[in-house]
Amino acid sequence: MKRTVSLSIICLILMQSVLSQIINKEPLSSRQTYYRIDAKLDPEAKTVTGKMEAYWVNKSTDIVPDIQLHMYMNAFKNNKSTFNKGVGLNLADKKIDFGWIDIKSFEDGKGNDLLGHMTFISPDDNNPDDQTVIKIVTEKSTKPGDTVFIVVQFETKLPQGSFRTGFADDYFFVAQWFPKFGVYEPAGMRYAVNGGWNCHQFHRNSEFYSNHSVYDVKITVPVDYVTGSGGMLINEVTDADGKNKTLTYRAEDIVDFAWTTWPGYAVFTDEWNHVKITLLLPHIREEQVERQFLAVKNALEYLTKNVGPFPWPHLTFVDPPTKGSFAGGMEYTTLFTSASADKLPGFIHLPEMVTVHEFGHAYFMGILASNEFEEPWLDEGVNSFWEERIMDHYWGENSGLIDHPLLKIADKSMSRTSYLGSPNRQLITNREYSWNYPQGTYSMMSYNKAATILYTLMGIIGEETTNEVFREYYRRWAFRHPSGKDFINVVNEVVTKIHGDKFGPDMNWFFDQTLFGTGLVDFKVNRYYNSKIRDFKGIISEADSHRFVAAVTKDDTIYKSTVELSRPGDIVLPVDVLVHFDNGDSIMERWDGKERFKDFTYTGTRQIEWVQIDPEYKIRMDANFVNNSMTDNPDRVPIRRYTNKFIIFMQYFINFISL
Amino acid sequence: MNILTHLKSGAVRSLKAWKGVLVIWILIFSLVSLIAFPLKSGLKSLIGSSMITELLYDSINADVITDMSKGLASLIPAITSGFLLVFFLGFIMNAFLTGGLFSILGNKNSKPSLALFFAGGAANFWSFILITILTAVMILLTASIVGGISFAIVSAAGSGTPAPGATGKVIRIALIVVALLLPILILVADFARAWQVANNEKKPFKAIGIGFSTTFGTFLKSYPLMVIVMVVQSGFGALVMSKLLSLKPSTGGGVFLLFIGSQVLFIIRIMLRAWRYGCVTSIMESPSPCFQRSM
Repeated sequence: MKRTVSLSIICLILMQSVLSQIINKEPLSSRQTYYRIDAKLDPEAKTVTGKMEAYWVNKSTDIVPDIQLHMYMNAFKNNKSTFNKGVGLNLADKKIDFGWIDIKSFEDGKGNDLLGHMTFISPDDNNPDDQTVIKIVTEKSTKPGDTVFIVVQFETKLPQGSFRTGFADDYFFVAQWFPKFGVYEPAGMRYAVNGGWNCHQFHRNSEFYSNHSVYDVKITVPVDYVTGSGGMLINEVTDADGKNKTLTYRAEDIVDFAWTTWPGYAVFTDEWNHVKITLLLPHIREEQVERQFLAVKNALEYLTKNVGPFPWPHLTFVDPPTKGSFAGGMEYTTLFTSASADKLPGFIHLPEMVTVHEFGHAYFMGILASNEFEEPWLDEGVNSFWEERIMDHYWGENSGLIDHPLLKIADKSMSRTSYLGSPNRQLITNREYSWNYPQGTYSMMSYNKAATILYTLMGIIGEETTNEVFREYYRRWAFRHPSGKDFINVVNEVVTKIHGDKFGPDMNWFFDQTLFGTGLVDFKVNRYYNSKIRDFKGIISEADSHRFVAAVTKDDTIYKSTVELSRPGDIVLPVDVLVHFDNGDSIMERWDGKERFKDFTYTGTRQIEWVQIDPEYKIRMDANFVNNSMTDNPDRVPIRRYTNKFIIFMQYFINFISL
Repeated sequence: MNILTHLKSGAVRSLKAWKGVLVIWILIFSLVSLIAFPLKSGLKSLIGSSMITELLYDSINADVITDMSKGLASLIPAITSGFLLVFFLGFIMNAFLTGGLFSILGNKNSKPSLALFFAGGAANFWSFILITILTAVMILLTASIVGGISFAIVSAAGSGTPAPGATGKVIRIALIVVALLLPILILVADFARAWQVANNEKKPFKAIGIGFSTTFGTFLKSYPLMVIVMVVQSGFGALVMSKLLSLKPSTGGGVFLLFIGSQVLFIIRIMLRAWRYGCVTSIMESPSPCFQRSM
């Protein structure tokens, strides 16, 4: 009885904690889940032991008989886990130090032991050896509005530098380390027909779909370790013996809580408007501090302006050292990791690109908490689109990724190249769950094709309309769980509102062909020609006779000029066609692209000099820009220039080898 | 004679050998043309009458490369084999041309004629090839040994927590060591070739041996001279490569001027090579006790 009373008091304290506001004035989300964790790192054993007090509120109208939680560290427990099978590596041969999470005790809010009610389930693939999701049948079913409290003692063994989490010597990146609730989806939410838990196993390519939660986390580490997390540091206390310190963090309305600790971190801080930014990176990369802060501030500025505000006053990001590179390029909303290399030249914008991308996930998956497992394009694809826009906006339209006098590469070109350069570009659509993409097509489809699709959409509806789509998407779905269907509905509404029926009653025709189809876009100029219109020449009949009539040549020759276009690609898109004449006139035509071919004919004294389909290269899904234009007088200057430089290079090379 | 005198003597000798320099330029240009002009034609053919070249003005464009990837894929085997052919022919041809150049740089040839250039090239061809190969092997071995030691140091440090920047420092030190050893090996090769031409002997191993003895016998004079010459040569090469390759003329006339300018600069580069050979020949021809012994 005494134990029940004390646990009830704990529950009350937990409720009070989640209702209290420390970081933001008002809750940003509905806060269905809450976590209080007291954890301690053992750097020698590579373990984190902890006690977690958490709850889940049933905000549906369903009576829910169970709870489901992620146990993602078990992905690294054996060679038969779904993750290890997905990786396709025989990790047993590598003798790596595996990881796991072990539940020591599991009680409900009344002190009932639930450990016996716990079973491992594999909702994605029925893999009996996968232990990354647990289901606990509660003592009583949870009624609408009721709360399930749990108290869990756990020990997490970190894996040796593996995918996204683990350790390397004294370096630790601790992610997916505690039992975390899945998302209960009532009927009608996203694609749910019946109410149920959406709690996927840990896969190679996806790991995020969670409720926005409040986290109060205490972390105990050796006193000389430098620590960063997704929370705001509230308190730091050194133990009496001076060996360890305990850091208390608070995070509100984020979807996951991760942390890192390493004695070798250098810490830098900066500010952007209301956001205090903390950067942790190895000392050897201190020369990149300015680059990193510039990148994150540019991303903050661009996304705030074009999507919506970044609501948290704190943000921490990490550039892991070389030995901790396994942790690079990951996102935990208010904590993310960049990726770089020591002494990386300034013209390679890799750290900036990764920083912008991972920060972008604070919006696309963090604030707009879509389901990465089921619709990876809505997470990675949308985020890549914004990453590329930001990189090319701030670092140069043609040099977002590489900016060297000899070589410039736009960030958006990399997505197009990865998509169109893939031999598997037409294998599958973007309807698939993340683990179902065959033959290594996941990244190409989820990141590259999706980003190229969105660029193409922007080319059709315009940049400002695109921004308005995302602003509306943010306004409507921030701190909720949007689906791809919800995003497309927003596109349809905003485009119709701004452009009326210019593009039809909705934009479904676009997404059906591009996102949910496997066709290619390709437009081509077949030829153009200018033929003189002469007077009639030939035999005419007059009464009972026939006579030959010769043409009369005139000085003011009239030409019939014709452009012949075709659409070798399957996808039907509207496209601009620019026709230029020898007198300097230009006509911008609009081709709806519906037919397989299209002719434009002009009559007059002027002759066509050149023709260009999509002259601004806005339809970035076009599989071949080279056949988009034609001229009688092609400009060879760049080719001559490159040949000349090749000659110079080869001459000096031959001179060099001659000693 | 001091270093400046030898530098001056080398310059005069190289200027006198201008015909040989022009021959070298013409032959190297012809060799490179074997691959460059077919490549140009291939690119023109791939682009056809498209206006896509507008995207290539600023830099190589990834979108264009993607779109031309199938055509480029068919060009790559030809480019690769062409490159190997040019490399191989260039190596052989240079052995011949270097022999010719050394032949007309000596003092005994008051009128360095083309006939002498070609005769010298032919006479010293095989042994010059061997000397060049031996020198290249020595340079590679030296770089491998220094690199291996550096790698071992870095690897040993990697098991603990190396001090910030330690790896970079080790690599920098290794590069400096190689850079300091390189002039010695180049001197050995140059003295060996100069000795062979002067003595009309076809004994490359003996020539290398004499190259070593002459290098160390005249070390205080020849080493600083070679460092000066190599700094000038490298500086010139780096300047030309960085500036010329970053120029972006946007008109046909501009490209033509770039071509003319680059060829003039390359002729100067060959002249600098002749200057180095001339300086070494000058040292060798000076009345040095070491050189007398070698003879």
